Amino acid sequence: MIAGSLIAYRWELRKLTAQRRNWLGIAAAALVPVIFLVSIQISKVTIHPPDGPYDTPLGLNLRQTGLALDLVVLKLMGVIGPTLIAALVAGDIVAGEDMGGTLKTILVRSLRRGEVLAGKALALLTYLVAALAVYAVAGALTGVIAWGFHPLVNLSGRHLSALHALALTVAALALYALPVLAIASFGLFLSVVTRHSVAAIAGTLLYALALQGLGALSAIASLHPYLLVNQFTAWHDLFQTPTAGTAIVRCLWVSVAFALPPLLGAWAVFARRDVTT
Amino acid sequence: MSLLAQQGARTDEAPIEARALVKRYRDLPAVDGVDLTVRAGDVYGFLGPNGAGKTTTLRMLLGLVRPDAGSIRVFGRDTAEDPIAALQGVAGFIEEPRLYPYLSGRENLELLAAFDRSGQGRAAVDEVLEMVELRDRGGDRVSEYSQGMRQRLGIASCLVRRPRLLLLDEPANGVDPAGLRYMRELLGRLSAEGITILLSSHLLAEVQQVCTRVAMISNGRIVYEGGMDELTRATGRRYRLEPTDFDRAAAVCGSLTAVDDVRAADGELSFRVDDDAGLVALVAGLAEAEVGIRALVPESDSLERVFFELTDEPVAVTA
Repeated sequence: MIAGSLIAYRWELRKLTAQRRNWLGIAAAALVPVIFLVSIQISKVTIHPPDGPYDTPLGLNLRQTGLALDLVVLKLMGVIGPTLIAALVAGDIVAGEDMGGTLKTILVRSLRRGEVLAGKALALLTYLVAALAVYAVAGALTGVIAWGFHPLVNLSGRHLSALHALALTVAALALYALPVLAIASFGLFLSVVTRHSVAAIAGTLLYALALQGLGALSAIASLHPYLLVNQFTAWHDLFQTPTAGTAIVRCLWVSVAFALPPLLGAWAVFARRDVTT
Repeated sequence: MSLLAQQGARTDEAPIEARALVKRYRDLPAVDGVDLTVRAGDVYGFLGPNGAGKTTTLRMLLGLVRPDAGSIRVFGRDTAEDPIAALQGVAGFIEEPRLYPYLSGRENLELLAAFDRSGQGRAAVDEVLEMVELRDRGGDRVSEYSQGMRQRLGIASCLVRRPRLLLLDEPANGVDPAGLRYMRELLGRLSAEGITILLSSHLLAEVQQVCTRVAMISNGRIVYEGGMDELTRATGRRYRLEPTDFDRAAAVCGSLTAVDDVRAADGELSFRVDDDAGLVALVAGLAEAEVGIRALVPESDSLERVFFELTDEPVAVTA
């Protein structure tokens, strides 16, 4: 199973990198913090702390240290930014092959369907982690070049050394990746079930919007901590002193709880379905 | 040659034994109790009009679609028990070969060889690219290939698997006459190397030229299965005669028991004989009656007539 999945994974990565549109997602991830930095620099005469983007968690660090750039943009992007990239790739990864007819080409070879799907899921995970990594590097580099590598004031008002802040930024991105991957899992499920890229992409975006809508419903306020959408801010805990850890642990299991059912569903459908296109 | 020699290794088991296959889409039976037996070494023609159930049957044989009922044994192994193991020596494509347009031809083959877990390296890919005359274009993206080149790459994608059984669905689709001739020659070479071939087609002429055995399917049911020679013998052979004297020629035809089903049109006679002896008798009779022969040619649509009789379906006669 593992060897077959790794074969599929390797070639899924090659397919992802061979398609220009997938580089657009990576490019967008790199450009978002750069564009934000430029807009801050342009508007620094008209917008001053604590207004506008300075009125966000860690926003007062903007223009004080380049390390704040990644974190502030991460907060501002919220759910929709990464969901868009996740949906574009996840929604297409199976349905695109279904529609293009290449699914029947690879499914008559010697890899089992579960191995093919595992390879696709791993490649999807790799792509999204790579996009977040590119985002982090682009944001950190441009931020440090513009505003320097200085200590960061955390949400409790404590000064963190630049290196400590950098390490926490990496951890924050890792935590942020979990709900993104959970949404991508749903996109993969839709990609298998709908057999249509556009339907799967649109469905994934609607799913994210619906989750956001649930997060705004006061009637279910007691459930809010357990909604996937609320895990996108779990990384804030890392910048509290002392670090509580409750939100971090919850982010882990809630993300897994939201990712597993669609993954298992995708596997169950993909393993048994007829390939008729 | 070495590649094909390995591909051609035989076993005693029949390459395909399908029994009572059924596949329904909603309530409509696409395949309804199909039995197929493909023997080792066959070039097996699977004939039927569009929508008759050919492609659905092939999808079931290749494990892409699960039968609602019936069984498939490939080289003696039941595909329902372990499809990957049962289909180990099998390669093919459905409708047309679909490959990744954004990868090169060579990369497509390397990908599929990796998915075969065969350990075939660059040498095997080079060998099949050479075989389908695409070695010089192997580095180009498939999106830059012509339809004929894609068909050939599709065949290469099958051969890189080193199959003992090839299942090809309409391999002549979209191929120009030169490509058709190339395809026929390639299939002949593969068959000579011992690879069993199942060729699905709606083109009677194509099947007639390359196949040794044939099955005809109509409305999801097999209406004929047997040898191509037996079929030709059973249906007799039709000829078209253009005589110098129509009336006397018609009288000669009518007087010979070896000649039957005589039809007249536009100063020509069309008739059926069972064998060469009947033809010799006719020529002798015409000579005796002092009737000259401007033309005496076999009609190319004899299989088509059979097909009409068996299926009541219109089909294409030529490629």
